[in-house]
Amino acid sequence: MFRPIASIAATTVGEAIRRKVLLIILLIGVLFLVVAPGLGMLSARSETTVLRGMMLGIIQLTSAVIAIVLTVYMIPNEIERRTIYTILSKPVQRWQFLVGKYFGAVAALLMMMTLMTSVLVFTFWLQQRDASAIPDLIKAPVMYFVQMSLLAAVAIFFSTFVSPLVNFFLSGGLYLLGSLFAPFFQTLQESQGTPQAAKIFAQLVNTILPNFANYNIQNPIINPGQQIQNESSYYLQVTIYGVLYIAGLLVAGTIVFDRREV
Amino acid sequence: MRPLAAAIETKQLTKTYKSRIHGKINVVDSLDLHVEEGEIFGFLGPNGAGKTTTIKMLLSIIYPDAGEGYVLGKEIGDMSVHRLISYVPERPYYYEHMTGLELLKFYASLFGINDQALFVRLLEKVNLHRDMSKTISQYSKGMQQRVGLAQALLNDPKLMFLDEPTGGLDPIAHREIRDLILSFREEGRTVFISSHELSEVELICDRVAIINKGVIARQGKLTDLLRGGRVEVTFEGVTEQWLKDKGMQDSHVRTIAGGVLLDTTEEEDINSLIDAVRSNSGRIVSIVPRRKRLEDLFIQTVTDAPAQAAKKTITVEGAN
Repeated sequence: MFRPIASIAATTVGEAIRRKVLLIILLIGVLFLVVAPGLGMLSARSETTVLRGMMLGIIQLTSAVIAIVLTVYMIPNEIERRTIYTILSKPVQRWQFLVGKYFGAVAALLMMMTLMTSVLVFTFWLQQRDASAIPDLIKAPVMYFVQMSLLAAVAIFFSTFVSPLVNFFLSGGLYLLGSLFAPFFQTLQESQGTPQAAKIFAQLVNTILPNFANYNIQNPIINPGQQIQNESSYYLQVTIYGVLYIAGLLVAGTIVFDRREV
Repeated sequence: MRPLAAAIETKQLTKTYKSRIHGKINVVDSLDLHVEEGEIFGFLGPNGAGKTTTIKMLLSIIYPDAGEGYVLGKEIGDMSVHRLISYVPERPYYYEHMTGLELLKFYASLFGINDQALFVRLLEKVNLHRDMSKTISQYSKGMQQRVGLAQALLNDPKLMFLDEPTGGLDPIAHREIRDLILSFREEGRTVFISSHELSEVELICDRVAIINKGVIARQGKLTDLLRGGRVEVTFEGVTEQWLKDKGMQDSHVRTIAGGVLLDTTEEEDINSLIDAVRSNSGRIVSIVPRRKRLEDLFIQTVTDAPAQAAKKTITVEGAN
């Protein structure tokens, strides 16, 4: 049952790491990480704070673009090039195909994010010569990886029924909404003075909308004054939330894809 | 003798698409198809006739809206049959970063097969063993088609679906693919070929079906469908009138330079006529058979019999 998934995932990684557009985005991200210390010196704020914020921002933005570009074309390309027909004529179920493609995308993301994080650590160490701050710094890319895995699942889900262009805007839009507005809806839901109707609406949005903001943990890392309470427990909770949300999206994607005429 | 089992059987299989302009369109309409085990079956039709849609339904890539279909005795959609069949799509694309050997490994892994000797043997069979380390992007069209056939043999299939297997290939590649397909029949496999290459089909297929606008217009043994060719015989020493008096059906006689030309059907008793000419001191100058070709039958079927009017399937079956 899992062998076809692993084979499809491995093939997807092989394809992804050869896609020029992804490599160019990755290269740009790495270049920005390398020049970031130079840019940080231009800021009036604490050099370390700016450097950490800038580097984490570069990794997050680059990873998000890679996650979307990598996944929006995944299923449509297989259909357009007819590779899917040869695969589905073998004893491969559609859910195995979809899950294999997803895990391949996540593995490719992991490789690319690992590369960027390595550059981040190396550049940071070269600039600061302070190895003690590195373990804390790495927490953010780890959480970004869960965030990007969730984003990839959103894009894979949409790719089962919309075109790549529409998917690009849908996934990107959801990512921005889930990153920027999820905390707002959460506050709205929990606030005492919020009217009941608005609370219900906020709860509905909070339930449906993937909460990408959960993984934006850069503030406590950039500003040592801020802290996450029960840090380990928080990381575990948001990771479980992410995994469950991803599972839900893959199940929904399979239901749609199973009925789709390819 | 035990009757041959059906490799493919469809009953009233129908696929409908909705069009904003034309409303519902039956892309495949009440298809009754019968493919026997161990034969090479040609599935012919013009562009848009419903050939690929039919194959996709048989492979459960798309779903029929009505009717039934059975592949190797199992209802279409039964995944267990996918272990016994294989498919090479029209103008196939394979992952270009892989080598020929890696491609076979990938497709084999979908069956849980990991047999290096098998991969090499199959690449030898399709004459790609010297190029197994080249990437697919370095393969020519013909080589890609051959590696496609190799991947289709990984599971030792009983039934192979080949969609336009020789489309866009040069004459040498044509011949290589044709020889491979013939070898599949010798190995006891059933081969279902969708094709436009009528001369190719005529050379290798046992039976054919012609589909037009989603409807099967003709189906049967090639030898039966192509029966009814003509023969041109040129005589000397007999007159035009003498030949006309012989009263042959559906025949034309005319005087040409060097004799009298008789144009008649191959069903007519030419031997008796020749004997009569000889006993009348006449001489046979030439006998030229004008065999009916599949191309003529195809064009006649597609142009003369509009599908809408010919919903009733015309089936020609010879004695087994």
